[in-house]
Amino acid sequence: MLIELAGVNKIYNQGRANQVQALTDINLTVAAGSMVCLQGPSGSGKSTLLGIIGCVFPPTSGRAAIGGKQLARLPDRFLTIHRRQMIGFIFQRFNLLSQLSVLENVTLPLLPLGVGPRQRRQRAGILLERLAISHRENFPAGSISGGELQRAAIARALINDPPLILADEPTAHLDTPLSREFMAIMADLKAAGKTIVITSHDPLVAQHPAVDRVVGVSDGRIDVP
Amino acid sequence: MNSALEKQLNLLDYALASLWRRRLKNSSVLVVFTAVIFLVASFHLVTTALTETAGAVLRQTPEIVIQKMSAGRQEAIPVAYGEQLSRLFGIKKIVPRVWGYYFDEPFQANYTVLGVDPAAMPMGEHLVQTLLAGAWPGSAANQAVVGGAIRELLALSVAPPTVEDDFPDHSLFALHRPDRSLKLLSTVGVFRDETALLTADLIAMSLADARDLFQIPADLATDLCVYVHNPAEITNLARKIAAILPDTRVLTRPQIEQTYRVVFGWRSGFAAVCLLAALAAFVILAWDKASGLSPEERREIAILKILGWETADLLLVRCWEALIVALLAFVAGCTLAWLHVVFFEAALFRPVLVGWSVIHPPFALTPRIEVKDLLLLFVLTVLPYLAATVIPTWRGAVVPAEDALNG
Repeated sequence: MLIELAGVNKIYNQGRANQVQALTDINLTVAAGSMVCLQGPSGSGKSTLLGIIGCVFPPTSGRAAIGGKQLARLPDRFLTIHRRQMIGFIFQRFNLLSQLSVLENVTLPLLPLGVGPRQRRQRAGILLERLAISHRENFPAGSISGGELQRAAIARALINDPPLILADEPTAHLDTPLSREFMAIMADLKAAGKTIVITSHDPLVAQHPAVDRVVGVSDGRIDVP
Repeated sequence: MNSALEKQLNLLDYALASLWRRRLKNSSVLVVFTAVIFLVASFHLVTTALTETAGAVLRQTPEIVIQKMSAGRQEAIPVAYGEQLSRLFGIKKIVPRVWGYYFDEPFQANYTVLGVDPAAMPMGEHLVQTLLAGAWPGSAANQAVVGGAIRELLALSVAPPTVEDDFPDHSLFALHRPDRSLKLLSTVGVFRDETALLTADLIAMSLADARDLFQIPADLATDLCVYVHNPAEITNLARKIAAILPDTRVLTRPQIEQTYRVVFGWRSGFAAVCLLAALAAFVILAWDKASGLSPEERREIAILKILGWETADLLLVRCWEALIVALLAFVAGCTLAWLHVVFFEAALFRPVLVGWSVIHPPFALTPRIEVKDLLLLFVLTVLPYLAATVIPTWRGAVVPAEDALNG
């Protein structure tokens, strides 16, 4: 299993007056090469769950292993390194830096790895070509269309060739054709062997044939079918 | 290439691009910081050059000066006092000197008039080295050497006039004796610019001419200059002289040097406090600027962190940015300061540092730039800026990565 969560709890502001129990007793396993959709309303804990799977923060308690590594035992620095090697993120609003060009945005994860400019350009060029936005590589991210932004964000998530792709509400701000296009790209990535976890309350995502499993999340718990 | 080095180059490249993206904010910091460094560096260059100039000029002055005091006031000293000191071992020569201040009403300027006898002075033959042009007054009467400022003020040329010179003779000028009669003097030399600090307002002439101008009898002088064989004995000899001549004030060269140091020290200290206050204000401003992360900057940090950038990487980028701004400001500030001192004669600091004379000495200072001075300036300016920006930068770099998940 690429993702193994057992009895995972996440409490924000533990011990303070504003303490929040975001996740309670989460048990979830995701096999390598599969696509899982985490479905639930806003505030249900999907993004927190994605944050734990994405090694952004460790669980408060429970066992969380991503790619065979126990997150609770990893200091913050190693969580970052593990995240860099294992995970590609696609965000709700794509989170590209608007003043940087598409090429610069896509290659951002490579800078702290010490990858030289020529190799960065080469790797990004292949991805941008594959996602059909190579003609926009020198455009500032703030000046391209929503569909192009989406593809640039996917290219950035793939630049390190991570085995796990996490997408947080990726279709929330896209129209139906762009949402379909996004899922088509995800399906291709799954076919190429990537493991994909998508949080969404969009039926178009949950009902996509490439999605192997839909996991309902509400009030910080996984719904039992 | 080594990947660690490549990583540093990548981060440096990102820092440069980031500076360019926020060019308005960064250029305003750069301009203010350059101005602060320019002021501090200019001031340092000027005070260093002035102190050195004063020291160089004072090296030509007598080791001991004796002045007669009466009821706390200085008055003319009998030349015969010198004979009482002849039995003191260690004295090379005692030379009378006549000097005084002369107020030139038409020009509203004070001159310092000095009467010496170079032939009687042990270093007399070296006095010519202080001149830019001409010669020291010889045995002929009514000749003078003037400072550059006086030459300019009175539009004097240096005698002797040649046959080609137009009439009237531009080397001549006149001063009033106490009885209002005129004493005509011919300019035979001009002091070098390097000595301008002390000679700009000086008119030097023979002892007899000075006595004639001030109407001082031949057996009196303003003070007596004592030259000694061993400079290490100056203080001892001064003490002995004071004991032999209890109605005199005995001034030593180290005391005069100390007075100059105190004068410059007080002035430079005062200005330094003002400049350091400006520097402190800038550092507080830099701290404030670096502390206030805009929502856009906060978002950028969160995105970079979630993309796998470590806190150390972000800190390094911000440090590169601060270092680039600081180094640019340092180089620009120091260069402008040098230009200000050398080509604009330190126009901003002249009133602060050389304000005791009506005729301000013109500056011809060529500041010596030494590595230790540059290091001192670097420590005084760049390090406080880096310190003021690194701590807020660290606070900014610890923005949690999950912020990027929230929109």
